[in-house]
Amino acid sequence: MFTILIASGLLAAAPERPLAIHADKARLADGKVLEDAWVVIEDGKISSVRSGGEAPEDSAVLRHTGWISSGLVALHAYAGTPRAELRDTTRTMLPEARIAWALDPARPEVADCLREGITSLLVTPARQSLVGGAGAVLKTAGGTIVSREAQLSLGFAAMSYVSNRYPTSFQAGLAELERLLEKPSGLLEKAKEGELPVLFEVSERSDVMRALAFAKQQELRGALSGAEWTGELAKSVKESGLSVVLPPIGLGEERRALRAVLSLAQEGVPFGFGLDAPLSHPASLRLAAALCVREGLAADQAWRALSSEAARIAGVEAQLGALAEGQQADVVLWSGDPLELTSSVQAVYVDGRRAYTAEGR
Amino acid sequence: MKTQWLLLSLVATASLARAGDDERKAWTILAEKIYTSTGRVIEKGMVQVNNGKIAQVTPSVEEGGAATELKVYAVTAGLIDASARLGVSLTSVEQSTEVQPHRRVAQAVDIFAPEFERVLAGGVTTVLVNPPDSNVIGGLGVALKTAGGDTLESRTVRADVALRGAIGSQPSGGNRPAFGRATDFFNRRPTTRMGVEWEWRKAFWDAAQVERDESKRFPGIERMQEALAGKLTVSIQAWTTQDIRTAVFLKEEMEREKLGSPRLVIDAAAEAWKEPQLLVRSKTGVVLPPFPALGRTGDGAFMAWNTAQLLHEKGVVVALSAHGAADLDERLAAQAGYAMRGGLSFEAALAAVTIHPARLFGLEERVGSLEVGKDADLVLWNGEPFEPTSRPIGVIVDGVLRVDPRPAPVD
Amino acid sequence: MTLLSNSTCAPCGPRALGALLLGLLALAPAAHAGNGKLAIKAGRVITMAGADITNGVITIEDGRITGVGADSKAPWDADVLDHPELVAFPGFVEAHSIRGMDRPNENVPVAPFLDVRDSIDPISFFFEDCLRSGILTINIQQGPACVIGGQGMVVKPFGLTIEQMLVRSHSGLKVVAAPRPGRSRATQAQELRKAFLELRQYLDKLVQDKKDGKDYARREALFQGKDLEKEENKKGRAQEGNASWKIDGLEMIPRGEIDDQKEPLLRLVEGKIPAFFYCDSAMSVRLALEVARANGFFANTVLVLEGDAWKAADVIAESGLPCVLSPNLMYVERDPLTGKETETFVPKVFADKKIRFALQSVNAGPQSLWFQAAQCVAHGIERKAALESVTKTAAEVLRLGKRVGTLEAGKDGNVVLLSGDPLSVTSTVQYVVLDGRLVYDRSKDVRMKHLMSGVEQANSTPGGAMENSHPHDEGPEAEGEKPKKDKGEKDEKEEKKDPEPKKD
Repeated sequence: MFTILIASGLLAAAPERPLAIHADKARLADGKVLEDAWVVIEDGKISSVRSGGEAPEDSAVLRHTGWISSGLVALHAYAGTPRAELRDTTRTMLPEARIAWALDPARPEVADCLREGITSLLVTPARQSLVGGAGAVLKTAGGTIVSREAQLSLGFAAMSYVSNRYPTSFQAGLAELERLLEKPSGLLEKAKEGELPVLFEVSERSDVMRALAFAKQQELRGALSGAEWTGELAKSVKESGLSVVLPPIGLGEERRALRAVLSLAQEGVPFGFGLDAPLSHPASLRLAAALCVREGLAADQAWRALSSEAARIAGVEAQLGALAEGQQADVVLWSGDPLELTSSVQAVYVDGRRAYTAEGR
Repeated sequence: MKTQWLLLSLVATASLARAGDDERKAWTILAEKIYTSTGRVIEKGMVQVNNGKIAQVTPSVEEGGAATELKVYAVTAGLIDASARLGVSLTSVEQSTEVQPHRRVAQAVDIFAPEFERVLAGGVTTVLVNPPDSNVIGGLGVALKTAGGDTLESRTVRADVALRGAIGSQPSGGNRPAFGRATDFFNRRPTTRMGVEWEWRKAFWDAAQVERDESKRFPGIERMQEALAGKLTVSIQAWTTQDIRTAVFLKEEMEREKLGSPRLVIDAAAEAWKEPQLLVRSKTGVVLPPFPALGRTGDGAFMAWNTAQLLHEKGVVVALSAHGAADLDERLAAQAGYAMRGGLSFEAALAAVTIHPARLFGLEERVGSLEVGKDADLVLWNGEPFEPTSRPIGVIVDGVLRVDPRPAPVD
Repeated sequence: MTLLSNSTCAPCGPRALGALLLGLLALAPAAHAGNGKLAIKAGRVITMAGADITNGVITIEDGRITGVGADSKAPWDADVLDHPELVAFPGFVEAHSIRGMDRPNENVPVAPFLDVRDSIDPISFFFEDCLRSGILTINIQQGPACVIGGQGMVVKPFGLTIEQMLVRSHSGLKVVAAPRPGRSRATQAQELRKAFLELRQYLDKLVQDKKDGKDYARREALFQGKDLEKEENKKGRAQEGNASWKIDGLEMIPRGEIDDQKEPLLRLVEGKIPAFFYCDSAMSVRLALEVARANGFFANTVLVLEGDAWKAADVIAESGLPCVLSPNLMYVERDPLTGKETETFVPKVFADKKIRFALQSVNAGPQSLWFQAAQCVAHGIERKAALESVTKTAAEVLRLGKRVGTLEAGKDGNVVLLSGDPLSVTSTVQYVVLDGRLVYDRSKDVRMKHLMSGVEQANSTPGGAMENSHPHDEGPEAEGEKPKKDKGEKDEKEEKKDPEPKKD
């Protein structure tokens, strides 16, 4: 019947008629659940989302037993680039580098993400550079790059420094960043103007402290990435206005990391889940959300971190991350509530086209 | 889990401040002995803390039994470790060139490092943190409190307290002559002590000449000028006699050539006991390293146990340091005890860990003694301070009780 | 007085040895005339057996204390050490140490036939440091990198040969419950049990062979040169003690025919020698108690604790066994959830549970037994209990309670004279009397002088050669100044130009 589609770009021909999908339940952008949901896709976009009623006339109808949601947005992924291409080891500051030029959507790990319900990846440069360049948002099917300049990565952790290349110390690194932002051009200028969010790569609490101070001094907006310690500094993070990209949270993770998520939620700090694919398996994105819910995070907040909030952090909230009118038609059909680990992906639509169908469907 | 916590709380002999106490900044401390570090000792007196500052130090006692009352045997000012070496690592010193006078180690310190809490439990409330001595001139040190808020500002007692550098074998240690492959910037001078001294002299001379000769300018030269003028204390690590000499002679050369009059403090001056008159005549302050058990210490120097006493007698301002150690036999309070064992009087030992380091680094307005108006940094002891039969049972930093002397409540 | 007669030979020795011997001599000033009678008068006498005595007198005759009291009378011809400014104290007792030997650990895992007497180095600086810290009784044991180690020995820190240093030989076997480096706990536990199992099997075989008429054991013993006619070797006797296993027919075997390698272990099982059982964790305490109970030496066991073994304090209290605690008094743990560190002062746990314990020292410089005891006081242990843990209790743990640990009539003539309270940081050991002889005088301790105040350069003014030099003389040494020496040995030798006062 339906062949299993391999994400090397072969897709079924775009349907000309609108596609109306009915599902028992839908997860909306704000995390709320809609019963008896109708989602209508037209020309690659979502044209309507409502509860109850009938499919529009002249639309193809697909009845799905299970849930429907927007595709997951995975922050801080490395999938889509050869590992060696993530970072230029000759220089630690590459303000004009754009990871978009290194993307290869045909790489198998991109399809792995698609199969787990992830429809967009925010691919970021490696953490070890002082100025890594701009990350990009990539669709996991079809190869579309939604945003070529999603965030500017700046390194604030000790791994950004080596002892045999300038700069070797935090002081000199910060001085260099200040110098670059004094008379900025290109991406740095956009960051300074506030148009381009900054991704601050951190590790220890002192890194977070430095990043917050720097963001305040330079009036930058964006997100912190890579620290479980953000939870203990949640108040300071809230004051700074920065968001947080959480590192992958797995089984057996220190309770401290889970507590951090709860602290952030309590303080009202916006956060999304990071993936580090292919270093972590794409399924760990939902696993992270499920573990946080088990620890006490509200389900709707966990869902936002997987979708709409993540899209906002990636700067693409207008197009992605929500099951809402006007958004790009990236939807996933699940066997159950996507926040339940027992649910599995049944089918994935990217830009309104069926990109993946689970076996046996 | 709960029984484990119960057991731990029973056996732990001093608990950290309980939730809810942290915000209070007003305390009344009643003590048998109040050692103020001003020379005044009060028997059976009271120290009043208000709003994070010392409000009163008096012999009169009004025991009221209030919840904010703490009754202990002795009180001293919070201890100051004049060379703490905490929260820093190789990423805290800019090694791309050997002379980096403008770099501020404050930007690289990890104030969340657990070592700060450990030394706090030993009674140390202020620490001097310098860039590690891999460079000839590493940059500007900072004085920090060992407890406080989550920002650098909240912990800073004074920024840029000293221009830090080293004379000896450490700064030349990582450099190699440029034979064979020159793969990184460590193929450079200095590779010997004379190279190190040359870098120091060049930095000072260039600073003196730059107004006339612009080609001498290098990043951070303004700091060298401040140091020459005596406005910025120069802290030089020099363990051995020859290195101490080099440091003092450098200062004296600047004076002789009328280039300036640097204010010099020598850190880790282990062999200062050999030629104390050098320090006396040049008015150089000294920070001693931890007392070595068998005499030999850093850079091959030999430190006699009576060093502190000898220097103090000759009028040299002596401060002690524990290099951030927290163990019972190595911490700063133990070092003060060892100085006493070497013949130093208690008053001088107390000064060496309170008011002397404060004066050496310009902190005396805020810390270093129990005087009205200063920061409420206090150590509460259950016996005579520095005797191993007593220990710090309570520590207050900026008026906040960080180590609670009261017995933990039993569930 | 063999030590004194050595003084004439000293310059003949090799240079390093010579320096050491001279150093030793520095510790031994005029030992008084040999009538063996000594009276020590001190401003305060801490006896550790009752109240302190003000202006007390300690009388010693033939190496034993004959009286302690304010009114103790010394014989008219006794030498007198009169120091009203000093405090007299019993020598400190180190209940367990692995220092002072050539190497503390052996490669052979089960080696009860070894003896530390073959490895103790009398001129090790460790003993010199013990003496100047007032530690007069030291139990030297093999290190913990084994399963069953050799016999220990209690020594005094004075003497040029093992015989001179001897206080008691065969002070106890070292048994180790902690895993050896590179091994797991399970392996260690099995090796421990196996050692005793193999002993059983060996003894069973001996009996069986005897019953079968084989005389292999006898021939082997003769081949090894054992004298089977000696009284103790001739007869067999039944297995004594209360091990959980018994070898039937052991009385058939003459004791001399039991292999030397196994024999000490048999004596351990029979309850004839003590065991120092090393435990590095709470888990290993459980193992130790099990093995000791099963193999008959439970009543003679002293636990030597390390790591988190203190967490088994309840079990130890129940067992009634005494302990020697780790020199690391503060145990630090980090909570995995909050990251906060908790510190536990280990001796307090034992004091609170009324377990008898002795302390160990990190005996290099000031961190000696007095320091450990002082820290106990700081952390809430009664002064009496703290002092006992380094004197009386430690002596009792070593079964030398009748000989050392207190200043009482009948005990060994070991007295330490301190400049102040033994637990004060400013107090130093001024004199040491060992077995009634003055063996240490701090004023003549060259190495101590060197440590405390450095070495004056010969031909230089006090404070160094730069005293009067012009500030212009910078860089290389000003003319006339001697080149820098190697600090230490050479200067020490030059200092020794004035030899110690010759003996009468």
